[in-house]
Amino acid sequence: MKILVCLKQVPHQDARLDIDGAGTWIKEDGIKFEINSYDTFALEEALRIKDAGEAEVVVVSIGPDRVTQALRTALGMGADRAVHVKDAEIDGSDALGIAKVLAAVAKEESPDLVLMGLMSDDGNASAVPPMLAELMGVPSATAVMKAEPEGDGYRCERELEGGALEVVDLAKPCLIAVQSGLNQVRYASLKGIMAAKKKPLDTKGAGDLGLSGTVGAAGAKAQIEKIYAPVRGEGAEIIEGSTDEVVTQLVGKIKELGLL
Amino acid sequence: MGNILIVTEIKDGVIREASYELAAFAQKLGGDVKSLVIGSGIAGEAESFAKKGGGTVYVADDASLANYNVEGYAAAIRAAVDASGADVVLISNTPSGWDVAPRIAAGLDIAFVSDVFDFQDGAYIRRVFNGKLDARIAVPGDKAVVTIQPGALPAFEGSSDGGTESLSVDTSGARSKFVETKVAASKGVDLSAAEVIISGGRGVGDPEKFKEVIQPLADVLGGAMGASRPVVDAGWLPHEYQVGSSGQVVTPKLYVAAGISGAIQHLVGMKGSNFIIAINKDADAPIFEVAQIGVVADLFDVIPALTAALQEAKG
Ligand SMILES: Cc1cc2nc3c(=O)[nH]c(=O)nc-3n(C[C@H](O)[C@H](O)[C@H](O)COP(=O)(O)OP(=O)(O)OC[C@H]3O[C@@H](n4cnc5c(N)ncnc54)[C@H](O)[C@@H]3O)c2cc1C
Ligand SMILES: Cc1cc2nc3c(=O)[nH]c(=O)nc-3n(C[C@H](O)[C@H](O)[C@H](O)COP(=O)(O)OP(=O)(O)OC[C@H]3O[C@@H](n4cnc5c(N)ncnc54)[C@H](O)[C@@H]3O)c2cc1C
Repeated sequence: MKILVCLKQVPHQDARLDIDGAGTWIKEDGIKFEINSYDTFALEEALRIKDAGEAEVVVVSIGPDRVTQALRTALGMGADRAVHVKDAEIDGSDALGIAKVLAAVAKEESPDLVLMGLMSDDGNASAVPPMLAELMGVPSATAVMKAEPEGDGYRCERELEGGALEVVDLAKPCLIAVQSGLNQVRYASLKGIMAAKKKPLDTKGAGDLGLSGTVGAAGAKAQIEKIYAPVRGEGAEIIEGSTDEVVTQLVGKIKELGLL
Repeated sequence: MGNILIVTEIKDGVIREASYELAAFAQKLGGDVKSLVIGSGIAGEAESFAKKGGGTVYVADDASLANYNVEGYAAAIRAAVDASGADVVLISNTPSGWDVAPRIAAGLDIAFVSDVFDFQDGAYIRRVFNGKLDARIAVPGDKAVVTIQPGALPAFEGSSDGGTESLSVDTSGARSKFVETKVAASKGVDLSAAEVIISGGRGVGDPEKFKEVIQPLADVLGGAMGASRPVVDAGWLPHEYQVGSSGQVVTPKLYVAAGISGAIQHLVGMKGSNFIIAINKDADAPIFEVAQIGVVADLFDVIPALTAALQEAKG
């Protein structure tokens, strides 16, 4: 059994977001990065399957040098092997470009199960997982809150609106994009971090994957023209002052609402 | 914008409000509009949609399509794209929409733009970084699958002059199978009845702080405690406290959001509250957009002081 986990490294959730000179992304220097929160749940799920039986967990991430940090963390948590896809040619890819790169990796690895996050904390596109499933020709499910072996595949519970769930069976090989909160994510132990140093981390470029000229900014069918601070509407009346002054105003308002 | 295909969504036998919002978005794009209705025993709904903005409506009516299934729905949408010659496919960003839409784009090798809320000067507008920034997405080839955020624009209320055409869809060979839908279990905490809700987010930091800081404010106002999703994901509070699209939708007289950024999935659960007070140390947090009163401060300074002052005011 082989499980491929796709990890994206994203700006830390509390990082300051300043727009870059081109106006198309944020300035990346000087900010901290972390593994996309949804992907930590996907990795944990893979490690639980491994803990429960025989499985090899391979993690893959597309991105610049900094991405090795995310892959090392995943190896420290218990993944067996890492693939880092790094190539300037891939920069500026749209979601379909990213999915094509991951599909090329999946073709080399031929996993029984692909686990990934429902969406990324930066792009928020929820695009890559179903695209990858389509390119691989395998069944998939998104926003999965529970996945258990059933027959020759997995029985998944997909989250719907308002707390309802949809139960769906997927035959293997298949792809599962997890929703946050399906498990409690472990930390890398010191022992794990030491062991990770000896685990294989391969680096590949677009050429190695037979993708030269097909991905990257030139091949992007959706292009970010500009990112900017949202044009906010009227918004809240911001009350300012010392804590005492703020509290006095809030108490006044709560009285006015007839709630005291 | 050439030919547009609206993929409608059926819930409890009727076409969802969100599908009429797609019709409104189609008007914004401008172009020749056709639609698709997928389900079982839905011919009547299809006929009605043909008159209410859907134009020619393709009907994929089959017992195997009675419930959402990614491969079956993908096959139906592909057949409708072929029949309509669609350049742009519009799908609601709902649990079934986001599940199937990217597949269609990948299969057709065209652009995908998700969770769009507007179209301005030739570009799709969507939020990135969990609502903190906006992005203009251009599609140079014009061909795209686009998912639209439910509630982003008012439903289309005009009419159209269309008929229906049945569409045959081959759903055999699917390797995924719908099993059942589980409805949410009845909740121990019913936030929908609360007059006052004090909600805490990831900014509250840990479960103890909910007890020490959030609960006392809820108590002094005779209200209930609520939470954003990360709080529930981390196991600090059970799921029934979660407010939002995948939690509860609430409409109290007063909603206090403390240490909550205001991601769209949280906002849809609480923006119908009568009065909203937001406390957040980030002046740019999107929560201030829906609040009536905003306090840019550390919640650990403001909330205990507020609780004490309210206690005193009550005497
Ligand atoms: C400088 C820059 C320029 C960009 N230009 C464009 C552009 O022109 N057009 C455009 O559409 N986008 C552009 N992007 C966005 C970028 O390509 C997105 O990463 C891509 O569209 C995927 O979308 P997402 O991150 O929202 O992923 P989602 O679809 O939200 O991610 C879901 C899951 O897919 C997997 N995944 C996603 N990305 C990776 C990855 N890199 N490695 C491994 N797994 C991954 C993860 O499991 C993740 O949880 C740009 C980004 C940068 C930094
Ligand atoms: C399909 C789907 C369904 C979802 N359903 C829901 C849902 O039902 N409900 C929901 O809430 N989310 C839901 N989400 C998640 C949502 O996208 C956000 O991730 C989530 O709402 C963020 O929660 P938060 O605001 O608590 O955390 P964050 O976005 O991390 O924000 C924390 C905030 O706290 C502030 N802060 C930190 N410390 C302090 C302090 N000391 N004092 C004051 N302010 C402070 C920070 O400035 C920040 O604004 C869903 C997501 C998806 C994809």
